[in-house]
Amino acid sequence: MSWVGARVRPIDWDARTSGRTPFTADLPGEHLVGAVLRSPHPYAEVRSVDTRTARAMPGVHAVITAADFAPGARYVHRGGPLSDRPPLADGVVRHVGQEVAAVAAETPEQALAAVRAIRVRYRVRRAPLTTAESRARGARRLHVRTTDEANVSMRLDTVWGDADGGRDAATVSVTGGFSYPSVSHACMEPNTTLAVWHSDHVELWTSTQSPWFLAKEVSQLLGIDHDDVVIREVATGGGFGSKSKASEHEVLAAALARAARRPVLLALSREEELGANKPRHRFATTLATHADADGVLRALDADIAVDNGSYNHMGTSVMRVGVITLGSMYRPDGVAFTARLVDTATQPGGQFRGYGTPQVSLAMESQVDEIAERLGIDPIDLRLRNLAPEHAETLCGYRVGTNRLGDCLVAVRDGLDWEGARPSSGPVARGRGVAAGSHGSGAYAYEFANRSDAAVDLSDDGRVQVRHGGSDAGTGQNTILAQIAADELGVDLADVSVLSIDTERTPFELGAWSSRGTHMTGSSVGQAARELGDRLRALAAEKLGVAADAVTLSGGRARAGDEDVELGDLVGLADDARDGVLSHESSYLLEGTEMLTPDRDRANLSPSYAFAAHGAVVDVDRRTGAVHVVDYLAAHDVGRAINPTAVEGQIVGGAVMGLGAALGEELVREGGRVVPTSYLHYALPRNADVPRVRAHIVDNHEAAGPYGAKSVGEMSIVPPGAAVANAVADAVGVRIRDLPITPDKVLTALAEQEGRRRRHHVWRRPSRWWIAAIRALYPLGLHHVLDRYGTRLGPARRMRARPPAPAPQVHVATGLDDALTALAAPGAQALGGGTDVLPDRARQPRPAPVLVATTAVTELRRLAVVGNALHVGGAVTLAELAAHPSVPTALATAIDTIASPQIRNSATVAGNLVQAKRCWFFRNGFDCYKRNGPTSPCYAVLGDHRFQHAAVDGHRCQAVTPSDLGTVLPALDAVLVLVGPGGARREVPAAEFYSGPGETVLADGELVLEVRIPLVAGRRSVATKLGLYTGDFATAAAALSVVVGADGTWHDVRLVLGALAPTPWRLTAVETALRGTRPDVATVRRLVDAELDRHAHPLPRNGWKLDAAAGLVEQAVEQILEP
Amino acid sequence: MSHTLVVDGRPREVDVAGLPSLAAVLREQLHLTAAKVACGRGECGACTVLVGGRPTMSCITPAVLVREPVETSEGLADESRDLREHFADTGAFQCGFCTPGQVVHACALLRAGLPADDGARREHVRHALSGNICRCTGYQAIVDSVCSVADERPEVHS
Ligand code: FES
Ligand code: FES
Repeated sequence: MSWVGARVRPIDWDARTSGRTPFTADLPGEHLVGAVLRSPHPYAEVRSVDTRTARAMPGVHAVITAADFAPGARYVHRGGPLSDRPPLADGVVRHVGQEVAAVAAETPEQALAAVRAIRVRYRVRRAPLTTAESRARGARRLHVRTTDEANVSMRLDTVWGDADGGRDAATVSVTGGFSYPSVSHACMEPNTTLAVWHSDHVELWTSTQSPWFLAKEVSQLLGIDHDDVVIREVATGGGFGSKSKASEHEVLAAALARAARRPVLLALSREEELGANKPRHRFATTLATHADADGVLRALDADIAVDNGSYNHMGTSVMRVGVITLGSMYRPDGVAFTARLVDTATQPGGQFRGYGTPQVSLAMESQVDEIAERLGIDPIDLRLRNLAPEHAETLCGYRVGTNRLGDCLVAVRDGLDWEGARPSSGPVARGRGVAAGSHGSGAYAYEFANRSDAAVDLSDDGRVQVRHGGSDAGTGQNTILAQIAADELGVDLADVSVLSIDTERTPFELGAWSSRGTHMTGSSVGQAARELGDRLRALAAEKLGVAADAVTLSGGRARAGDEDVELGDLVGLADDARDGVLSHESSYLLEGTEMLTPDRDRANLSPSYAFAAHGAVVDVDRRTGAVHVVDYLAAHDVGRAINPTAVEGQIVGGAVMGLGAALGEELVREGGRVVPTSYLHYALPRNADVPRVRAHIVDNHEAAGPYGAKSVGEMSIVPPGAAVANAVADAVGVRIRDLPITPDKVLTALAEQEGRRRRHHVWRRPSRWWIAAIRALYPLGLHHVLDRYGTRLGPARRMRARPPAPAPQVHVATGLDDALTALAAPGAQALGGGTDVLPDRARQPRPAPVLVATTAVTELRRLAVVGNALHVGGAVTLAELAAHPSVPTALATAIDTIASPQIRNSATVAGNLVQAKRCWFFRNGFDCYKRNGPTSPCYAVLGDHRFQHAAVDGHRCQAVTPSDLGTVLPALDAVLVLVGPGGARREVPAAEFYSGPGETVLADGELVLEVRIPLVAGRRSVATKLGLYTGDFATAAAALSVVVGADGTWHDVRLVLGALAPTPWRLTAVETALRGTRPDVATVRRLVDAELDRHAHPLPRNGWKLDAAAGLVEQAVEQILEP
Repeated sequence: MSHTLVVDGRPREVDVAGLPSLAAVLREQLHLTAAKVACGRGECGACTVLVGGRPTMSCITPAVLVREPVETSEGLADESRDLREHFADTGAFQCGFCTPGQVVHACALLRAGLPADDGARREHVRHALSGNICRCTGYQAIVDSVCSVADERPEVHS
């Protein structure tokens, strides 16, 4: 049996799929818990750090600061003057979230209390937060750099080939600016380290892709020998590049363990992962592409600004790899570029799958399409005309072996409905796009990066163990190495195990980064196994009395003619076998690759180069701006696939991650601080967002690769951005150059294309003057004053200096009276499913000391039709309500879009109605007006308010009511029955339940007893909603209910828009105009538009929501008209 | 403060002082670590367990409020074996961190029954599993696996 090339299961599938594989946080044993104090400021001088109180607190065993490291200690990373990042801030903080101090305590609560007790005196300074600010005159210099430009850490001015000649020969040129956002790896396992300090060494269990680099950084920062950092094998929950170099948790855990003399577990929270870890570098690329009349690319000119963040966390390498994109795939006469790595006072960028390639590829592959359009050539044909030859050198110095990009492009054309009809009239336009890409298989980026050692052991029971120093963070590397060893030794795959990571028990290997795993460890393990096989053949030959070349290994035996011997039995014959194990270690040295050096800007970095073409078919909804990918084909040249299933997994996984950045993900910042620090606000693809993504592996065999293989892991994330942008341009004729392509950009571009503009005449509406004036003052200094000084007066700041509030008392109410009595206690809060109340507590200045659980109260659990109404108890779950046979369509549809099935199983109807307001500043801990009082700013006025904030009626707080039930219930004419102290009841129409964004008329101690929904014969109701991902809150929503007469006339019309105004907004004027008519879609749209124009007062970047809301009404009307 | 949970069929006395989540109780007191905590806020599904047969985010479910039986990935290992084999055969997991949550949720879907029509079934599964984030696989193989198992288990159709 040949294992190489076979679709085998991951070798540890049973343990991994059942959850028995331990990740670091799962390891048993006693340990302290670490926590990190992080900078709240983008830039400040650290005047003093006082840890005395913290050290004296109960349960605290260690507090460390910069003083616990050698003076001037820095991460090495790229070395020399580029090493600028301290393990803990020493004197200056340069980004929000920078590590200032760390503690180890017995419980998480004690650790958090101690962190809060550390007193830091900052002197806050203004600092540039964007590359443009950093390069502006007079900007604060974040570091002393070696370039002659302020805040430019590295600058490349390069010309490859004959760019001048190419430009002269060109007849068509396109120019444009493109940006690729900063996105998070969002690995599902939060970064975690367990450190155990021994007298002479430290042992670490940690999420890593590269134990060697980690040991190097930890050892030099702690001043111990490299070999005294021993890293043990443990599962790594996703890496995508982020774990290929040291982060911070590793050395901080080790330093805490040293200080505490106890094991310490340091795990980042999701908030820290998103808000303080090292994301993809944002690239702003200005590109000009020049081609001749035949569509042959002749020259590329680029000017690129890479947002480095505040430290050189591999930004120099990311930038170099990024620009190489321009000279690696096609064959223009020349390429000229200037690239600057620009320091900003934001979290440093890090290594991310694809390095800079996806960013630059977005620009290049978008412009290839623009050229194709200008020349009237099919985009696939145009790319085929520009293919670089095989076995030739590229402009950037790559010596490419096999190159099947042409086959990939043809596969896209054949596999997608490429020539198919693409309706462009009607509300939904279809388009298709293609993008190509290339990527190396490893990079000679460091000394010894061209070397990989590996060992293979054979036990006397016939079992084989592969040992390598890399780490399989989910790529399937361990499985393909087992396949290779099994083939070389002729054993069953089930008899092969793999030990990785362990720095004591595995030989030298730099780890899994730069797509080097397959080539480097595939080669070294293959070589070690082959050599061990030779040894076994020799031993068998001696035993069987035949020549060594007559011996073959198969089925776990050495065979010669009719005779054979079990491999395990050969172990005892080897004089160097120890304890029944014969080991062989081997060192693979890669020849022919070159390093980039300061005076060498072209190099053959990699032994082989992978290629891919991706094709996307998208539907663009002109009404809402939503882009749906409906089909996606990713064709890859990976050489030969050692495990096709694993290769397809890398292709699909990388493509979907790329689609995330193309369509939704972005680490939006406000004042240098990341806003979406929760998955809730981070639009990474959820299951239903992802189309059928099909992987196609073209036939190839790369002579330079082990067993014919090239890389795949990073290649797949390169093309999606441009593929989608090209498809959107094909669909609706607007080219979006800034990812992600969110509905706001599409609708704004479409409005411009169609010459539509809304006029709101705020100057004619005195009720809005005051708000307009406040908004106008924000950029003139009001925001700054409120943010800098006003926030100090609110309770949130003081709250964060106090120990965390103790856990609340929970009163499990047994009946309604019991619940009402308990709720009468001061500060008591009702607790339904807990899905909103519990996560929000950490943000509250004064979380409720008593929670009254309502889910066991029978009176609140009623769900029944009573007369002509559906009565829904407040503690009925959303799932229960949706499943009731009498639930109106609009309600069932709306519930189905709320969060996730798991949440709907717990969340209650009342809880949904009263949930905290939806605003990513409010929810993610900004000290905003609503959270922190009237002296604090509303961060949405100047911050990113495109999706979540009011475009109608916003006041000082721009938030909206998040509840989808809140939008639908008024459209169904529902009534809420509230019950208060002593059982007093009152009825409130659903339309009057909200008094402000997420604020209700509920009095203290009052509960939502039930919701009564009239069941009206002949009523049709629909709900439509726009979100950024499946389960997202509404960016805009509409609910419409109509009783349609036999002749098609509309009666009893109710139309409510959600997420547009602070409270659900009923369009009564439209309702009146429609009553008794038989409207069509266009009529309703006209009426709605007029109403929107009359009332809206959008913020500068959320006016598009008005169009989206009107579009949602159109969708709703269509559904009513064609049920 | 003691509370009785029935976990994977066995009654277990647990301490609920300080309002621990069900996930914390399972992981720290009962050493059932298959349910992972990736967000702790009910937003990712890594901690999914069944409570009364319903998929539930254990990270934001107060243990003290759990009165129905709890089923974990550990307890469902046998029931999910065919599904997990499909996961292994199709590439439905990579790092495996989200996988116990996906598998537990899928167990509940399969028990409830899936539409017989291929397209409808796929849509149903994609939508239902949208609360379980996977950053590695791109979801295709997860959906394929659940749909295939529904085909193979004679009793799964609705
Ligand atoms: S850990 Fe529970 S939902 Fe994320
Ligand atoms: S397998 Fe890694 S997150 Fe799903």
